[in-house]
Amino acid sequence: MLKSFVPRHSARSLLRPLNAKAGCGGYGSPSTFLLVQRRGLASEAEEHDVVVIGGGPGGYVAAIKAAQEGLKTACVEKRGALGGTCLNVGCIPSKSLLNNSHIYHQILHDVKNLGDVKLNLTQMMKAKEQSVSGLTKGIEFLFKKNGVDYVKGTGTITGEHEIKVNPLEGGESKTLRAKNIIIATGSEATPFPGLEIDEKRIITSTGAIALTEVPKKMVVIGGGIIGLEMGSVWSRLGSEVTVVEYLGAIGGPGMDAEMAKTMQRILQKQGMKFKLNTKVMGGDVGSDNIKINVESAKDGKSEAIDADVVLVAIGRRPYTSGLGLENVGIEVDERGRIVIDQEYRTKIPHIRVIGDVTFGAMLAHKAEEEGIAAVEYIKKGYGHVNYGAIPSVMYTHPEAAWVGQTEQEVKATGKEYKIGSFPFSANSRAKTNLDTEGMVKFITDKETDRILGIHIIGPNAGEMIAEGVLAMEYGASSEDIGRTSHAHPTLSEAFKEAAMAAFSKPIHA
Amino acid sequence: MTEGTISSWKLKEGDTFAAGDVLMEIETDKAQMDVEAPDDGIIAKIMVKAGTKAVQVGSRIAVLAEPGDDLASLEIPPEEKKDTKSDSGASATKQQVEEKSSKKDTRSPREGGRPSVVKSSAKSTPDTARTRKAYTPSPSVAHLIREHGIAEGDVSAISATGPKGRLLKGDVLAYLGRINKTYPKELEGRIHKLGKLDLSNIKIAPPKKDAGKATKQAAEKKPIVYEEKELKLEVSFGEVLKVQNKLQAALGVHLPLSSFINKATTKANHSLPPVASASDIFDELLNLPSTTFSSRPAKFQPKITASSPPPQQSPAADADILDILTGAAPATTPAIKRTPGIAATDPNVISLTVKGAKEEERGRLFLEKVKGYLEKDPGGLVL
Ligand SMILES: Cc1cc2nc3c(=O)[nH]c(=O)nc-3n(C[C@H](O)[C@H](O)[C@H](O)COP(=O)(O)OP(=O)(O)OC[C@H]3O[C@@H](n4cnc5c(N)ncnc54)[C@H](O)[C@@H]3O)c2cc1C
Repeated sequence: MLKSFVPRHSARSLLRPLNAKAGCGGYGSPSTFLLVQRRGLASEAEEHDVVVIGGGPGGYVAAIKAAQEGLKTACVEKRGALGGTCLNVGCIPSKSLLNNSHIYHQILHDVKNLGDVKLNLTQMMKAKEQSVSGLTKGIEFLFKKNGVDYVKGTGTITGEHEIKVNPLEGGESKTLRAKNIIIATGSEATPFPGLEIDEKRIITSTGAIALTEVPKKMVVIGGGIIGLEMGSVWSRLGSEVTVVEYLGAIGGPGMDAEMAKTMQRILQKQGMKFKLNTKVMGGDVGSDNIKINVESAKDGKSEAIDADVVLVAIGRRPYTSGLGLENVGIEVDERGRIVIDQEYRTKIPHIRVIGDVTFGAMLAHKAEEEGIAAVEYIKKGYGHVNYGAIPSVMYTHPEAAWVGQTEQEVKATGKEYKIGSFPFSANSRAKTNLDTEGMVKFITDKETDRILGIHIIGPNAGEMIAEGVLAMEYGASSEDIGRTSHAHPTLSEAFKEAAMAAFSKPIHA
Repeated sequence: MTEGTISSWKLKEGDTFAAGDVLMEIETDKAQMDVEAPDDGIIAKIMVKAGTKAVQVGSRIAVLAEPGDDLASLEIPPEEKKDTKSDSGASATKQQVEEKSSKKDTRSPREGGRPSVVKSSAKSTPDTARTRKAYTPSPSVAHLIREHGIAEGDVSAISATGPKGRLLKGDVLAYLGRINKTYPKELEGRIHKLGKLDLSNIKIAPPKKDAGKATKQAAEKKPIVYEEKELKLEVSFGEVLKVQNKLQAALGVHLPLSSFINKATTKANHSLPPVASASDIFDELLNLPSTTFSSRPAKFQPKITASSPPPQQSPAADADILDILTGAAPATTPAIKRTPGIAATDPNVISLTVKGAKEEERGRLFLEKVKGYLEKDPGGLVL
């Protein structure tokens, strides 16, 4: 259909600027007008321009943005804290543990002959909790600052414009009325059939960030990013970690095959064990030991692996339970993802969906981008997320980071391409830091030199990839990067040299 | 320059188009060019017929609608009069055009010389010289421009395929004739697609009656059974025979046909595109009916049969030339099921049994590859 900002019945030109339209409702009912009318009636179901369900990176960002755009906004969150999976049990706590376990591991190895290092796990967990609570409270503050109504409770959609909230503290439920609804209810760990999660011995990532002692043996089912990050933490703290992966490579299907191999080699050197092409058939949970039965996908050989703790990290699935989608007939696909169009609309156009609970990569920054875009669609009729330039980062040590296409994906297009790579072992800063593992790899279109993908394994790869994302956002060629000055001595010179390798030759290799 | 001629419309009213499709051809006093769609849409109305001369820059020539719009219910808004009235020279026209493009919904003319297409949407793809001019050229572009001494006026005539109308290195290379002229656009088309959320092939879940029950059902779901299908391809062993003879003469080794076939099989299996996509894995994990395989696909093992009565087979040791040459332990390549009747000279048939559409596609590719290896370069297989 024509956009709602095009007045079909009026004689105004189509060339009118978009932002001339106030509020967010349809042209039939200017929201600003309604707002003024309703404010006085406190006991009535409150009318909001936007109600966001879920306070994760998708939801809280959408709520703040909406409020900044002058929309009356509420955010419903049932967790008791804002920030969603990411801040409470995902990105943030895992990075705290990764950082501290890395420091511990490094000191342990550096001071081998100097003295004693002892692990204080309780203290490590405390540091994690401090980071988490500091950040979640920070969002609460941002809500106040921007005037977002924070509604603590479980939200259920009961009508096209109506959300019933069951308060966390108990008591009577209340109803919110909304012109627009943004669903951002996120995801949960996919359970492994036959292994019952108790978060003590059979755990998801949520249990893995809260273990009270270091397990002697840990089996990680699934060699994706979350499995490798959490596996790294406990391996550094002294656990014997075996990663069982069904595919032939670690890092998940989004990782460049060459990088995945390199990463596996590095992690193996650090003490992690890998069983690839291996299928977990089930487990026997004994009183003091767990046996995980696996079968090789190649030759069908089976064996049992002992474990004290089993981490199930086979992926995440959209979370919609209790949301009441059925009350308004909103559909999900076979994997539970809420069905949307390119503008995040469900079949009820003023109900939009963002983040893990719908299509696309399950990443916090992807959810955030969508939060902004969804609000812009509501307010201005146009928003944009470039799904071709969303970075992925794995926070192992060294880190792995990438953006754009993998070499196997480019190869599958049948078009000719070039590779330019540069190892950190030839980079001066990496050498002075005694941290030289990994490399930067560019994949460019052979004809035009346009960058198709960038893959990095190395210290601080997650920070370095930002330059690559920006480059791709602007359609850059490797020569554009090769002709841009990078400070010396920095790790970023490796990035530049890899670019040079793609279109001509690196200097230092 | 304030006017141009519409030579032809490539589409008619009601036609849908995708971003990059050519909508029409126009002629100005400088050049003839194609006008491409900045975004997906439908031709709602053509206001200026093909062949019309002296169409003023800035006047409305057509109205475009969004994909999926119902044309019948659309009201075409009247045109702002001042647009066409302008005859105060090129500068005024240009200004007007710029004003429009800043309002984000027209396609402004390149070098002020192109009539604009009015679009009934907010989306803009101002990939024109005018918008582009504001950008600093990227380092590689600046370098190429200097290196080849491209005049400023000519630079703005280079068609730009980058995001938001940016001029890219590839565009300049195409302009210089160093690469195919249409290639940058083609590439941009591919990259543009990757920039969108993939919402194709959505399979709606059946409505849930009882959440608990539904998960149970999913867990109990039986693997779906695909129909089996046999794929066949004719293959000639003439080249293989030649290599066999050469090896016999040079090294005194007889390499059986099966060695060639085994090698070709292994090589072809390896060269197939990666098997499991992210969604395949997810499907498998969640026990969903996958569009591909119900489990990791086995390596293909073709059957070979002669299409005419076989000649006498020379009995020979199953030696592997690589092992002989490298002194390595015998390879564990699974021996192919040898159906009596493989002829070294006659056209033979390689066949496979596959299940499901995706496997069929892979199977075909596999057979083609095996055939290619055996017929074109059998020597490369064993040396
Ligand atoms: C261990 C781990 C590490 C991770 N590390 C990273 C990383 O380093 N980088 C990265 O980009 N991503 C990471 N992720 C992924 C990231 O956490 C998610 O992509 C992100 O949180 C998705 O945001 P979201 O807003 O869509 O959903 P969520 O963060 O899941 O938030 C949804 C919120 O909605 C609430 N909710 C659900 N239903 C209702 C309801 N009916 N009423 C009220 N509230 C409701 C939930 O309580 C939840 O707080 C990690 C995930 C895990 C598990």
